[in-house]
Amino acid sequence: MEEYDVPSAASILASVKEQEARFERLTRALEEERRNVSLQLERGSLPSDRLVGGTTGGSNQPLAWQQMVMQEQSPSNQTSMMQEPQEVVEETVTIEEDPGTPTSRVSVVTSEDGTTRRTETKDNVTNMKVTKVVKTITRRTFQPVVLSQSKPSTPIPPSTTSETKPVTKMVKTVTTRTVRQVPMGPDGLPLPEGSSPLGSYTDSIDRRYMKNGERFITPQATSTLTRSYNNYSDSYNDTPDSQFRHYGLHDGYGDMPENYGSLSRGVNYRPYRPYMPTGGYRPENSYTLPIRKEDYGHVAQPQVPMGSSTVDLNRSQPERFQPEPYGLEDDRRSLGPDDEEAYDLEPDYSTANRRTLPGRTIREPLRNGPRVRGYEDPIEAELIDERHPYIHGMYPAPLAQPERGSMASLDRMGGRRSPSIDSIRKDPRWRDPDLPEVIAMLGHPIDPVKSNAAAYLQHLCYENDKIKKDVRQLKGIPVLVSLLDHPKAEVHRKACGALRNISYGKDHDNKVAIKSCDGIPALIRLLRKTNDMEVRELITGTLWNLSSYEPLKMVIINHGLQTMTNEVIIPHSGWEYEPNEDSKPRDAEWTTVFKNTSGCLRNVSSDGAEARRRLRECEGLVDALLHALLSAVGKKDMDNKSVENCVCIMRNLSYHVHKEIPGAEKFQDPSALQGPGSAGTQRKKKDDAGCFGGKKAKEEWFNQGRKNGEHDKNYDTLDLPKRTEPTKGFELLYQPEVVRLYLSLLTESQNYNTLEAAAGALQNLSAGQWTWSNYIRATVRKEKGLPILVELLRSDSDKVVRAVAIALRNLSIDRRNKDLIGSYAMRDLVSNLPSGQQRPAKNLEEDTVVAILNTIHEIITDSSENARSLITAQAIDKLVAINRTSQSARETKAASHVLQTVWSYKELRNGLTKDGWNKTHFQPTATGTPKGSKSCKPGYDDTTLPLMEKNQECLIFHPHFSADGYSTIDQRDKDSKYKSSDGSSDLQEREPLKNDTNRKHYIRSNRPTVSLVDACDVKPQPVDSWV
Amino acid sequence: MSFIPGQPVTAVVQRIEIQKLREGDNLILGFSIGGGIDQDASQNPFSEDKADKGIYVTRVSKGGPAEVAGLRIGDKIMQVNGWDMTMVTHDQARKRLTKKKEDVVRLLITRKSLEETVRHSMMQH
Repeated sequence: MEEYDVPSAASILASVKEQEARFERLTRALEEERRNVSLQLERGSLPSDRLVGGTTGGSNQPLAWQQMVMQEQSPSNQTSMMQEPQEVVEETVTIEEDPGTPTSRVSVVTSEDGTTRRTETKDNVTNMKVTKVVKTITRRTFQPVVLSQSKPSTPIPPSTTSETKPVTKMVKTVTTRTVRQVPMGPDGLPLPEGSSPLGSYTDSIDRRYMKNGERFITPQATSTLTRSYNNYSDSYNDTPDSQFRHYGLHDGYGDMPENYGSLSRGVNYRPYRPYMPTGGYRPENSYTLPIRKEDYGHVAQPQVPMGSSTVDLNRSQPERFQPEPYGLEDDRRSLGPDDEEAYDLEPDYSTANRRTLPGRTIREPLRNGPRVRGYEDPIEAELIDERHPYIHGMYPAPLAQPERGSMASLDRMGGRRSPSIDSIRKDPRWRDPDLPEVIAMLGHPIDPVKSNAAAYLQHLCYENDKIKKDVRQLKGIPVLVSLLDHPKAEVHRKACGALRNISYGKDHDNKVAIKSCDGIPALIRLLRKTNDMEVRELITGTLWNLSSYEPLKMVIINHGLQTMTNEVIIPHSGWEYEPNEDSKPRDAEWTTVFKNTSGCLRNVSSDGAEARRRLRECEGLVDALLHALLSAVGKKDMDNKSVENCVCIMRNLSYHVHKEIPGAEKFQDPSALQGPGSAGTQRKKKDDAGCFGGKKAKEEWFNQGRKNGEHDKNYDTLDLPKRTEPTKGFELLYQPEVVRLYLSLLTESQNYNTLEAAAGALQNLSAGQWTWSNYIRATVRKEKGLPILVELLRSDSDKVVRAVAIALRNLSIDRRNKDLIGSYAMRDLVSNLPSGQQRPAKNLEEDTVVAILNTIHEIITDSSENARSLITAQAIDKLVAINRTSQSARETKAASHVLQTVWSYKELRNGLTKDGWNKTHFQPTATGTPKGSKSCKPGYDDTTLPLMEKNQECLIFHPHFSADGYSTIDQRDKDSKYKSSDGSSDLQEREPLKNDTNRKHYIRSNRPTVSLVDACDVKPQPVDSWV
Repeated sequence: MSFIPGQPVTAVVQRIEIQKLREGDNLILGFSIGGGIDQDASQNPFSEDKADKGIYVTRVSKGGPAEVAGLRIGDKIMQVNGWDMTMVTHDQARKRLTKKKEDVVRLLITRKSLEETVRHSMMQH
């Protein structure tokens, strides 16, 4: 979680390019605009009443055009007032510059006849002053003039009374229209103040916020959209001196009460700053989004620098999938489309905006709240999206959701709902409520006040640990928890949102505080009660956050396990208790709720044996998870977070099944020493005739795999226990059928965490001495799992390599597996070893190197053949180097074990001596180490992965020797699949239309037995795929 | 059709729209692809430039949707629904083609005969 995307040179370059591209677009747009404006100017001279009426009718067209142009111009920086024709905005252009810099306030005032006046004030007033000014304006607008609505640029207190609304809407069109004309100006270019269009449009709002934060004031900060509009109006009105008429503003204002050239939508969004202008408890910089970056170095926030360009970057780079380590915290969830599809469908976006819209419309409906002003929603959402341009691209791009919630609320709050805040506003000594006041408002008798206060809290807490702590110390958390039971949806939703943000972060005290006031049962209660998807997302998100703290895991299990399973996991997994024979099984839905809940369960599943027992025995849970995963495999949709969570739960629950499940004793293998070995020998012939025959083409293999229903029944030599009834519940965890599931995941998934978890599950299942692990080990072989695993030894991901290496080690408990792995995996294992102090390209961690060494040790134990393979793979060099020079005691020790074992094969010594080795090379450099220490365990810090470490079983086997071959990953397969098109592969030709879902690309035809692997060149084999 | 990596490629392209065939749960395009940046391009029998790691159509099933749409063996796929296919791994290409949610894929392909046709017609004028 601590890794961030530092903008690389590449991304900077890309962003520059993006800006260039945008500039080009902009230029084009301006051209267009110029043309259109001349047109509009003509219309502008129409009677104003006509224009007003035009809100619904006449002006639609120009508006539509405007919308288009807006998009063209500022893909990521929409002022967005033009979103929907009838929602055109109204605002006063009160532009507030950064405090501390020359403050300039611009007002574009439009009168009914279409003329516009612009006033701009510039001054070095302090922030306080600025606020006051704005406020004055507001009142001005507000009181005498019913016709106009002004949105104060200080968004805090609600400003609009309900009766102004309808009127406002009417007025709006005119305003917009007028403003629209303004930009045309005499020269048609918005450059009077030297802010280039580029500057103005590319400066994202993010950027602006950042700049507006006290510290980041640069001239550029002001070159935002708004600014450029100022310029527009400037050039139009040509009243440069008005810039300095600061407070004179009011007069002009009063004169033209009707309409205020709007354009300041963006300004509304500066709430961050003005929001807390009094600074009562404002720590530092904390309210502005971008500054978070400073304050929260640990939070991955690819924000500002990537700015607007990110969007395009992402668009052009489909592989944006970057799993976040373990996003436990909801704050960090992206609101970008989770699955590729959402954006896959429209690869041609030319602007970020277009892309934003579809996603948002899908998401938005859930959020809502009384839509006092419907037209505001798109805007706020828009802006939020803009502020997080990266969310569209990066898969788990950090959060945004809470922020979004808070923005929403904030806007509404700033908008006008709470009477109490309203009253504050009228207070001459107007100021923002401070934290204790906000918390006090949570207990206000009027519900909207409660919900606004909670929403405000959510906003304040976003990424601000200090505020979270303050809320806790001011005893805000119990109040919020109590609001969870509030009957009004708006109230419990907002309370839940606040709790979610509070529960996020490293400060576990906040989590504990929620727990201490019985927040967990309250959340679960609400989960049972509500059907509101958004609330459910918030609840499960909060629970996910809470579940990351060890001591709360059991509490969550106690209160919420069955509820979460019944309410979320089962319904969303598509699994049904009693499947209807007629209907086709439902697929899993990867909803946010499911993702959150599975994430929560994933965390709690790591809380030791008791937690595992509870989860295994939770009715329907394992069944549903398995169903969801099978559905993911079926749909080939397995790179998402939900799948990752599910596999991790399965992996965790598979840990120690052989010891922990009820009745496990029955299955303990009494003949452990012979069991697998003898079975292996018997099976050998069958396999040779069957799946392991050497001639099979890949296609045939696939077909077989697909139809394997019948073949699987041939476990004759394995004597699977007869089942009289379908397996269910935790028994599903270790049925040989799951092997294929995990292998499919290992083959298809691109998500390292999923790969690691799937390999870990196989590792867990193949550990131990009981009947089922014997089956599992044999099944992995029969399902051609060994080549898949070996292939993954080449993965770039350290943890995948590690999990796979350990899994191979456990699998080699089976004698035949050991021979096969020895023959075919040795080179890949060895290639992962560092040569002396010089690490291979992958730079694997110590744990991984140790795991590989232990696996090698296991493989060569009792197999001189495998030891020979090891020598052939030129491992001795590396081993000796590690043994002599490694900085790691564990590596040294593990390498030393391997060397001793090699030397113990007397028949090999001759060859070794010829190669220039002597006994001393094979002796431990340090003190002699007992053999038993070979199970040094890799440690995992990650709370979600606590189980793997104990997994290495130290099992010693002396089964019979049997040699066999398995389909290898030999890269030199002569059977170039390119040739198959000319008829050589008839099998596939026969059913060319089948969408072969089981295809595994890297499995080639079989190799004859016993030979060692050819050089594993890096050359990938040719494959082709039916589509 | 050879190109210098990093340089823009000029190619005569043809749009081909394939309506996937639904067979049970499966959506079928009816052709197979080879190539990709993770593949050994030298074994691609269809490419002129053996360093071309593009995605090629290796087989087209008789009567299948791809054939109906006019796709031919040896065609090089430049784009799928707007997504570039000249710098993708084999699997990425496959996934891009086999989106379950998309019933139609629009390909941008290029083939030798196309170039020749164009060159030919240009010489005529």
